Amino acid sequence: MKSKLILLIVSSLLISANIYAGGFQLNEHGAKAMALGGAFTAVANDPSAIYWNGAGLSQLSGTNIMIGTSLISPQSTFRGVAPDITKYRAKNLIFFPTHFFASHAFNKQWSIGLGFTTPFGLGTEWDNNWVGKYLAIKTTLMTFIVTPVVTFTPVKSLSLSVGFVYSFANVEITRKSQITNAELPYPFLAQDVFADLKGDDSFAYGFNAGIMVKPTDYLSIGASYHSEVKYDFKGTATTTGPAQVASELPNGDITAELTTPQNIAVGVAVDVTKQLKVSADYQFIGWKSYNTLDVNFTDPKFDDLKSPRNYKDSYIIRLGAGYQFNEQVTFMGGIYFDKNPVSTAYLNPTLPETDRIGLSFGLEGKIFDNLTVQGSYLFIRGKQITVNDSQEIYSEPSSTFNGTYNSTANILSLGFVLSL
Amino acid sequence: MKIKLIVSIFLSTLIFISCDDYSDLTPPVKDQMSGSANFSRYVALGNSLTAGYQSGTLYQSAQVYSYANLIAKQVSTSFEMPLISDPGLGGRMEIQSIDPFEIYTNPSSGVPININYIAPYNNLGVPGALTYDILFAKSSITCASYVLSSTPTPNPYFDVILRNSFLNLGTPLEQGLAQAPTFITLWIGNNDVLGYATSGGTSPAAPTPTANFQQLYGGIAQGLSQYVAQSHAGVVVANIPNVSAIPFFTTVGLQIAMNSGIPWSALPLGFVYQKAGESGMGSGSASQQDLLTGKTLVTLLGITYAPLLGQPTGKFYRDKHFPALPAGIDTTKPFGFHPQNPFPNAYVLDPDEITIANNAVTAFNSIIAGLATNFGFGLVDINSRFNQFRAADFGSGTVIDGITFRTFYVQGGLFSLDGVHPTNQGQAILANEFIKAINTKFGASIPFIDVSSIPGSLILHKMVQYKNGYPIIPPGVFDHLLF
Repeated sequence: MKSKLILLIVSSLLISANIYAGGFQLNEHGAKAMALGGAFTAVANDPSAIYWNGAGLSQLSGTNIMIGTSLISPQSTFRGVAPDITKYRAKNLIFFPTHFFASHAFNKQWSIGLGFTTPFGLGTEWDNNWVGKYLAIKTTLMTFIVTPVVTFTPVKSLSLSVGFVYSFANVEITRKSQITNAELPYPFLAQDVFADLKGDDSFAYGFNAGIMVKPTDYLSIGASYHSEVKYDFKGTATTTGPAQVASELPNGDITAELTTPQNIAVGVAVDVTKQLKVSADYQFIGWKSYNTLDVNFTDPKFDDLKSPRNYKDSYIIRLGAGYQFNEQVTFMGGIYFDKNPVSTAYLNPTLPETDRIGLSFGLEGKIFDNLTVQGSYLFIRGKQITVNDSQEIYSEPSSTFNGTYNSTANILSLGFVLSL
Repeated sequence: MKIKLIVSIFLSTLIFISCDDYSDLTPPVKDQMSGSANFSRYVALGNSLTAGYQSGTLYQSAQVYSYANLIAKQVSTSFEMPLISDPGLGGRMEIQSIDPFEIYTNPSSGVPININYIAPYNNLGVPGALTYDILFAKSSITCASYVLSSTPTPNPYFDVILRNSFLNLGTPLEQGLAQAPTFITLWIGNNDVLGYATSGGTSPAAPTPTANFQQLYGGIAQGLSQYVAQSHAGVVVANIPNVSAIPFFTTVGLQIAMNSGIPWSALPLGFVYQKAGESGMGSGSASQQDLLTGKTLVTLLGITYAPLLGQPTGKFYRDKHFPALPAGIDTTKPFGFHPQNPFPNAYVLDPDEITIANNAVTAFNSIIAGLATNFGFGLVDINSRFNQFRAADFGSGTVIDGITFRTFYVQGGLFSLDGVHPTNQGQAILANEFIKAINTKFGASIPFIDVSSIPGSLILHKMVQYKNGYPIIPPGVFDHLLF
């Protein structure tokens, strides 16, 4: 018997699955790039070029190693459910995505690089008994990539790169669910069940490519492409609940597919004076790839489901400026606008999506001739977003999650570049 | 210089955008005022329905969903209640198993957790209260069940809720008015007929006489009206739903009628019950059709004995510790089918008794409506609303915010496991009826409650938690075990 209870749990899983959404693209791949607001596609002049634009490796000589990390501290609140305005605050979590890049130039024409970073990831956690507990309690997603890149510079003003992307990822979603079944088709019981869904994929792949053109000494134009990466998550659903409904709890192996979006970035960088370099990027993110999600139970006893998510393609506009104060120190600042890829109807507390503005500043300093340190601070302000057409059901069968979200994030990045 | 300028613009922008929220949202009811309804101090008078009593007892997780507290939340006013920690003051009914459906009575009890609140409670609903009690009860031994009954029974809820041993502020009405309320709801009178009906017309032997009800309710209305004259407080009163139509009465008879194991055609008298008293031949009888259509009702208490129908049994008399069998009873005769072994009087509401109960409800409701009009109180027509639910029971049900409600036991969603008191969702529907009346009477615009957002309240008895079909036992639990 395929009970309704299972449908309820699995459909909620699908709702929760928008954790993969726009804000969960992580762009923290180097403190210098962050300091410039991420307007780095046409700059790409440190080993993090392996991620931003592989063609930029042509600007580096010898062997360079870069290691860095970011401290990400997001805050989110929800006020609702409308017309109520009670404020709920997500737990303050801190994440440390770490990156490592190494490059080597054989000659003026050929370079190679190897990078490790975290292109997508998220974590949100709300109180166990908060009003949205049937939508989200704890959600985490981490994707990691290892990417080797090769760069070719046929003529001085043109560089090209191509790279392979190997990726592994894991995801965990915990939430509660109301109990309904054939006897009680509406949630009249006081108790809930608790669902924990875990999955991972140890082999997914994609590719990237880059190009950099320098028509003159003071102008640089770059473009990069990151392909979609398709993940086949395999894992288990663990559902706990009252003994009276034990036989109906969906437990066992599950699979889910997820495709992270392709990214196309185009940038330009201009040396306004000898000291001042400004850069601008336009980044296209193909979130349309995330229009539906299928979750399958291996056990045919439980229903498989498809759920529409209807994400839209999105973009980020970035501006950055660097001022070389002296031989040792460069100050930088940046700003960007990140367009929300999801309509308010599908917004949910696993990821409080919204239009975001990022403001950053930082510096790069030479400690020794062969050692550079980079540091940056990025503040992200999410536009307050009020949902009044929600399709997200926070209490069965018809209560929709209308209310007002606010989110901010503070991000500190630190990195070292060692030139051998 | 340029750098300084850029940096300072940058930092001021940062400060500007980093404040937590862009704007403050306004609550739907600001300053506890809506129209001319002022909820800055709200008092609810009533009985178990007002208290938020469910599944046989009073406990916190149900009290917070009483219609009175739900109204208070909609208008954002503070509302103190005589909270009792779960599972309540004893005897909470819980679900042992869903299929087959089995009830369990929780033997543990909770404790009052707001007993030291220094003023009278905003929720003065006292389980078991009659109309008399609003005017006269001050303690467990001055309430109607003690002073007016032939078998005086103290009602401890009066001590727990009124706390006159240290507040010394008097009756529910006195305690309510002592708070100088700006808004009062009153829902009383149900027990003036319900006690008669739930005891199968035995104890008390009649509903509160209409003349007495007129006097008592009139006294309360008078008291409220005098207070309103000097305070301009708002008052709404609610009428009484048709008590014999609640699942406490409508469940068991139907099940007996639909029991395919009963040879109805071979039973000359059909279902035989004691019409009056406990001795002598059973003089009442009901056909299968009578039970099916609710012409004769069997109470939920009768469920203990319904499975014994047709058996030669005297279990009822053994259970009730009868020293000897009453005259005229022969327990070798088929139980409930033979006049000499009739179904007990206390579990049957016969057609005459139903008429008495219904007439009482009609009379009480016309008194309530008349007084409301006279004194300018708002009237919440619970009776009509309940009749609408009843009318839709055998059709498509009543759909509210996506949930289909019926008045049926358990699966209908309106009534808790005792078959008398509403569930959380039932209370939310009641609250919306009050809000509707308040909005009309006072030109208010208090938002309605989304019933779908109210959690269910039928409690599964906590046996063992299961995962993958195995009980969950954390690792290490058995480590200290000695064999």
